[in-house]
Amino acid sequence: MKNSEPENFGAHSRRTFLKSLGTVAATAATAQVTTVAAELEKANAEKIIGPNAVPVTLKVNGEKLKLMLEPRVTLLDALRNYSSLTGAKEGCDRASCGACTVLLGDLPVYSCQKLAIEAQGQEITTIEGLAKGGKLTKVQSAFIEKDALQCGYCTPGFVMSVTALLKRNSHPSAAEVKHACAGNLCRCGCQPHILQAAFKAAGVEMPTKTEVVNYA
Amino acid sequence: MNAFQYATAHSTGSARELVGDKGAYLAGGNDLLGLLKDYLISTDTLVNIKSLPGLGKIERGSKSWTLGALVTVAHIENDADIKKAFPGLHEAASEIASLQIRNVATVGGNLAQHSRCWYFRHRDIQCLKKHGGLCYARNSENRYHSLFTGNDCISPVVSSLATTFAALDATAIVLRDGKELRWSMADLYADAWKNPYAHNSLQPGDLILRVEIPTSRSRSAYMQVSDKHTFDWALVSCAAAAELTDGKLKSPRVALGSISPKPHEVAEANEFLDGKVLDDATATRAADLILRDAKPLEFNGYKVPMAHALIRRTLLKLKGDV
Amino acid sequence: MPSWPAETKYISHATTRIDGPAKVTGRARYSSDIQENGWLYGMILRSKWPTAKITDINLDKALQIPGIKAAVLARDKNMTVRYYGEELAAVAGTTKQACLDALRAIEVTAEALPFVVRENDAKKPDAPRVWENAPNYPAPRARDHGDVDTAFGQCAAVIEGFYSAPVQIHNPMETMGNTVSWTDDGVTAWSSTQGISSVRDGLAGSLRLDQSKVRVITEYMGGGFGAKFGAGVEGVLAAKLSKEAKAPVRLMLTRFDQALAVGNRPSSFQKIKMGAAADGTLLAFEAENYGTAGIGAGGDSGGGGGGADIPMPYLYKVPNTRVKQSAVAVNAGSARAFRAPGNPPASFGMESAMDDLAVKLGMDPLEFRLKNDPNKIRQHEYALGAEKFGWKQKYQKPGSSPGVVKTGIGCAGAAWPAGGPSRNTNGEAQINPDGSIEFRLGVQDIGTGTRTVIAVVAAEMLGLKPEQITVKVGDTRFPPGPGSGGSTTCASISPTVYDICTKALEQLQTLSGIADARGENWFKACKKIGINPITVHGQWIEGLSTNPAGGVQFAEVDVDTETGLVTVKKMLGVHDCGLIIDTLTLESQINGGIIMGMGYALYEERVMDDLSGVVLNPNFETYKLPGIADVPEIEVILVNMPERGVIGIGEPATVPTAGAIANAVANAIGVRVGSLPITPAKILAALGKVPPATA
Repeated sequence: MKNSEPENFGAHSRRTFLKSLGTVAATAATAQVTTVAAELEKANAEKIIGPNAVPVTLKVNGEKLKLMLEPRVTLLDALRNYSSLTGAKEGCDRASCGACTVLLGDLPVYSCQKLAIEAQGQEITTIEGLAKGGKLTKVQSAFIEKDALQCGYCTPGFVMSVTALLKRNSHPSAAEVKHACAGNLCRCGCQPHILQAAFKAAGVEMPTKTEVVNYA
Repeated sequence: MNAFQYATAHSTGSARELVGDKGAYLAGGNDLLGLLKDYLISTDTLVNIKSLPGLGKIERGSKSWTLGALVTVAHIENDADIKKAFPGLHEAASEIASLQIRNVATVGGNLAQHSRCWYFRHRDIQCLKKHGGLCYARNSENRYHSLFTGNDCISPVVSSLATTFAALDATAIVLRDGKELRWSMADLYADAWKNPYAHNSLQPGDLILRVEIPTSRSRSAYMQVSDKHTFDWALVSCAAAAELTDGKLKSPRVALGSISPKPHEVAEANEFLDGKVLDDATATRAADLILRDAKPLEFNGYKVPMAHALIRRTLLKLKGDV
Repeated sequence: MPSWPAETKYISHATTRIDGPAKVTGRARYSSDIQENGWLYGMILRSKWPTAKITDINLDKALQIPGIKAAVLARDKNMTVRYYGEELAAVAGTTKQACLDALRAIEVTAEALPFVVRENDAKKPDAPRVWENAPNYPAPRARDHGDVDTAFGQCAAVIEGFYSAPVQIHNPMETMGNTVSWTDDGVTAWSSTQGISSVRDGLAGSLRLDQSKVRVITEYMGGGFGAKFGAGVEGVLAAKLSKEAKAPVRLMLTRFDQALAVGNRPSSFQKIKMGAAADGTLLAFEAENYGTAGIGAGGDSGGGGGGADIPMPYLYKVPNTRVKQSAVAVNAGSARAFRAPGNPPASFGMESAMDDLAVKLGMDPLEFRLKNDPNKIRQHEYALGAEKFGWKQKYQKPGSSPGVVKTGIGCAGAAWPAGGPSRNTNGEAQINPDGSIEFRLGVQDIGTGTRTVIAVVAAEMLGLKPEQITVKVGDTRFPPGPGSGGSTTCASISPTVYDICTKALEQLQTLSGIADARGENWFKACKKIGINPITVHGQWIEGLSTNPAGGVQFAEVDVDTETGLVTVKKMLGVHDCGLIIDTLTLESQINGGIIMGMGYALYEERVMDDLSGVVLNPNFETYKLPGIADVPEIEVILVNMPERGVIGIGEPATVPTAGAIANAVANAIGVRVGSLPITPAKILAALGKVPPATA
């Protein structure tokens, strides 16, 4: 339904640009794609786009998604409703729960409060982009090992936050893990195990104080 | 959200032109997009100002630092030099919201953000601030609201950067129709004090360019209390800044947030503290003065003792004893 | 007589979740992730009036919004709205944006009516009536036991206290909703539900279809906590939209919607008078309780204790009692079952009263409980817990902790009767000649680890590894099982899997001639199956599961007496649930119950505004859930009782937490805060530091 990508994105832009210049030199344009693109960028610099759908290119997990989106479409909306990347979840749509956390570059952000058009030109990483060739990352394996998940709905968001943390700080303290994950909520109560998983992924085994005692 | 047009401005002039009468500047978008999602404001054009040149830097001058309006809160939190120069600013920044928000939130946006009053933010309530007839909070659920008010709206300012900038005597430079205005934090929120419809003194089209922070107070501190330990709006926040020589305060400033439509300062308290030894007794007296004219509502009276404690602790934190 | 093996390789050990990889990679598809061909986005228009007579709902302009493919009324264009957020209509369109625009184009003609949203206001004789033909607050009749009036005269110490807890919202991370496809072949609903069968039957009934024409699929769902049974108004609307649009419709509630119309835990306002003899024996208990289940006061609350009734006196044996309670109706969304319905408020009130009385008697609160708790298992759990917690060393008289930040400890007990396992649990396993085996059960994994329990039991019984067991749940095409509620799923599926395995082994033994087809003989035996796989059916059998379950919890808190901030430093839960299947997922359940109880104790409260009648905090900003920095160190002692068979744990784990924390706070500051949530504001008020209103 929503995967309508404009097949000839380049051609479309060329035509628009040429129309705005008032020339019909179509043959000349075909030969000089890069010059045209640069000129196009300059002419479109303060161009007003929307409110109808416009072409939007998102680089997600190393691949280009070419979509037609209204400016008001959020990055989360683009991922979940205009592509098959439903890993990032909608928990609140108000930047208050973290289920939609993705990475823009190295930075964890709430994709629900980011316009998709403003996520262009950046490397977007979602939960689907972590395991390369099916091999789980240290963070993902640690989450499973420490049972840092129950219903799993908050899990993609937490995994992204912990992944981003360990990239910038490979040996965080408990306080630093909590500071990094303060923006992620969990209703099932996985927080203690998430802390253990973050440590495990950083190579530290937190001692567990759980005892199993036989009654009889 | 309603549909809108979108444009990226590359100069403040074109930004002003693009925003016109009904447009809105878009920086981080944390506040703006939330307002749009709940139809609390209407706009037909979002003008992306993140490409405006020269607004994204932290610069150190001889007598002051300059934070560009587009500097993110995360950038402030992570800047080691800021932490040394203005520890209070570092503390305030690191407690704002969550990391995901701090990564995109900007100085300008934090200062300009709209009220968080739950009546204002409710899409089906036409409160006074939204040009309805009634301040609901005054007569109903006011646990998060102001102890000091200048008009019938009791929504407090919640920008913790504003509170901290007030204590640091920072100046916001605001561009209005091509002219730069130099505003103290008191100026920036003066309209909110007078006018129930205002969140701050910004007029449509005004653009915060930067904040200049004098280095005359080498000590600063910030503290807040919320219901939760993280990611929760402050119930009360406090910032203090001063020089401290031989245990004596010089040019002290204390400001409270989340209890008034503007950062709350009492000149008499600052004057009292000036030249005094910083200890429990002077901190307590200052707190008494700052809160003397507090007018608790039915459900926010707890903010008085809470603020009192925060003022004492924040001042004593200036000593550097931990 | 069937019995669990005495020596186990997997049962009672730690096994990681078999659906872990799907969840950590984003592969797990929830109802809100389903993208059937041509799917449409659905959205509900809700009443912005708390009460109103609606005389017209005009969908014409909405249908003209580009991209909108269908619009339906929720009920009728003539209807009475009784709470803010009640459903009026729904639309389906090609984008979320089209739906948002369409909702704003629906024209509703309404006449606002009087409303009442607060319990205390609704009790007044002149309050607007929530239901025209019934009082908001039917006068409760007292239930007497023994002679409470005489007994109070014989008490050495009597306390009177007022304890209250607000309405709590479930707020699972995934909201309610479904993706529904209604074609000529019938209805398929990918439902975020705890009860695929109840959704199926609900949809069939509402849509007037044969039950066999409705299929419900729930591979993954993002939490329910009791609210997600039945198709819901939203499920039926999604189906109707799908039929009209001739396309699948994904209709998930927004977070805003979640606080309004899909259930909650009733509030509870308890006046308790309780007395004991000098030696600490409880003699008399008198209580009055009222609370609201929204408009669903009385029998209409959809499960969970009928209105706002709670078990009183909770847990402890008191020979003379008088209890009066009644629900009070207000114009707000109906209550629904919420993790241990009735028990957390009952526990909170009772355990607070217990500590208050212990203090009056000059007795250690733990000793006082041991004196009056008849349950031997809990007695043992208190002993275990007290030792690990260091109760004797830590206990100080209330308020005697020195300094500005005061420390206190508290404890409380839990009992969960539960209905016991569901006898109507069925399952099947398909065993292939290559030895691979797939279990299919019509139950749900709501985050509890159901799939893993099945894999663990199967692995144990068959001598295989859990990772060799394929488990499929959550499809009404599978042999039916119970909804996931009442903490009964584990006790329902474990004996069922046992039965399937027993029968499977019998069949394999017959087919292969190998006497014991388990373990290393498994693959050899399976090779003899022939070309076609065998399917083995099984069901719940006696002798392997029981009920009830229970436990005790200890809490240690710091209270900053100047700012009022409460910090829970440590929680210890000592819980029994019969034979432990998986220690890892069990620990997660207990952590989860404790953290939910902590939210109830310190942060959560649905706030109604009495001027406008709306819910003021339908979001995570002001409806506050514990964050990772709020959660304390949680220690758990799992009491394994294999002799009792498999039981469940989901609910008892959340029952005593608020009581334990409230008691720890009272112990710290020397003053009782009897109202949840215990916020800094309430701490400061209890300490007498809050000035009166002057504005």
